[in-house]
Amino acid sequence: MKKFGWKGLFAGLLQGIFLLYTTVICVGPFIWVIISSFKTNKEILDSAFALPTSYAFDGYVRALDMSPIFHFFGNSVWISVINTIISVLVVAMAAYVLARFHFWGKKAFTLLLSSSLLVPVSALLMPIYLLMAQIGLLDTKASLILVYAALGLPTSLFILRGSFLSIPREIEEAAAIDGAGPLRIFFIVVLPMARSGLATAATLHFLTSWNEFMFALVLTKSESVRTLPLALNYFSSQFSFDYTAMFAAITMSVLPSILVYILLQEQVTSSLVAGSVKG
Amino acid sequence: MKPKKTTLAAFLLPCILLFLLIYLVPLVLVAVSSFANWRIGQPLSFAGLSNYVQAFHDKNVRAAVGHTLLWVIAQATIHVFLGTLLAFILAKKFRGWKVFRTVCMLPNVISTAALAMILLNVFKTDGGLVNGLISLLTGSKFEWNWYFNSSTALPAVTLGWLLYPGMITILMLAAITSIPNDLLEAARIDGATSLQINLRVILPMVRNTLGTSVIVAATSMLKEFELIYLTTNGGPGNATLNLPLYIYKTAFTENNYSYSNAMSVLLILLGVLIVYAINRLFRMEESDY
Repeated sequence: MKKFGWKGLFAGLLQGIFLLYTTVICVGPFIWVIISSFKTNKEILDSAFALPTSYAFDGYVRALDMSPIFHFFGNSVWISVINTIISVLVVAMAAYVLARFHFWGKKAFTLLLSSSLLVPVSALLMPIYLLMAQIGLLDTKASLILVYAALGLPTSLFILRGSFLSIPREIEEAAAIDGAGPLRIFFIVVLPMARSGLATAATLHFLTSWNEFMFALVLTKSESVRTLPLALNYFSSQFSFDYTAMFAAITMSVLPSILVYILLQEQVTSSLVAGSVKG
Repeated sequence: MKPKKTTLAAFLLPCILLFLLIYLVPLVLVAVSSFANWRIGQPLSFAGLSNYVQAFHDKNVRAAVGHTLLWVIAQATIHVFLGTLLAFILAKKFRGWKVFRTVCMLPNVISTAALAMILLNVFKTDGGLVNGLISLLTGSKFEWNWYFNSSTALPAVTLGWLLYPGMITILMLAAITSIPNDLLEAARIDGATSLQINLRVILPMVRNTLGTSVIVAATSMLKEFELIYLTTNGGPGNATLNLPLYIYKTAFTENNYSYSNAMSVLLILLGVLIVYAINRLFRMEESDY
């Protein structure tokens, strides 16, 4: 049913140009960084576009020497995984109660929790720092796990409440008649049925904490607890005269995110959409 | 099924504690101390509105609020337009459309800190991608320090988020593709061109998501921190300063806690105002279909 004419051709051409522009802008810098990670310092400074003369991994070896990226990577994985599990579990319990039961103060409570959506967390940077100093958690992974667990709390709450509301009540009632207690009903019956909501909340939460920078900057100092995003803060000074190593370090710190995104992009995309619309 | 009160409390308690510790107590602390005089090495005292008066006259606050408003407007218009345009193109689902969806999301899925480090090198004086490109096109060696010249720092920083609307694209794409196909078919049978369908049928139907996109884009500018911190650190002077960065600097390099907290209050109020304005603009609560 498609009619071809000059107009259609022109529109197609414009769209093609826009897609090309998007690709160049979005992928160009990555490819440039990866290629540069194989060039020598002199080659990098001489020409931004010349290809490397050899493809040795010297830069990578030196980068790992100066900055233990795998260690930071491990810290990031640990902190993100633990706080995601804690957060999703804690929020799921609250969301379940809010979705299922009526009690005094429920409306006010939901409103209070969702109001935190309007507070940019950078506004709370300083008091959170003081609180962590007070309870003696500064410069520990626990401080980041605690803070990250609270980030995005209202978004997770809305997503999970929605998925609990869509589960028919009768199944829980049947389980209760069979003698299961509330904890058992929640963990054995309800949670498995809310799988997709849990996956959405967990994906969003993991992404947020995996990429978080500001609290990591303020709450941690030592290398042993440093996360991957914060490690990038030190690249400029660590690799000030070794651009090859800096490009290698950048490549190593972004590749895992890119690979995981490409593999799980349907899940990530639908989670991001759900998170924005709910939030 | 009527659960015991203790069960309800047990289910809610962890969430309440987390909320209290990370949101409510800090929020109260911010609000209360913004009326105090509180900095390192000085006794705590009541200061009334003096922090706010000082903020009103502080040229750094003016610069920070001005940049934030500029960025909010640029994100809400140019950024959302670019993302929406891409979504409309990809919604045709031509062969390989998913590749472009992945491509446009790449700068958004890596951490902003990593994007900042990449852009820092892209805009570098020696051997940077931008200078290299200009040298290549003009034939003579071009050297310019984009992030450290007051005339180019602001545009260079702005490009770091303005040109990467992947998030808007996936939001709008999801909304466009969920429109029932028979509706578009009906428009086509009535003789509407594809441009007319896009502008007159699809665009009004995805108005809510467009509003959400504008809010997402605009509010992201209230939180922007690491891209500025890692590239220009707010400078040169205060040419790229914004409120989160100024709050951070005031609290952690000048140790003026109460002043920092007064600006946090301003940031929160600014955010509420912006979200309210966008909601009014898009009449978000009403649905058309």
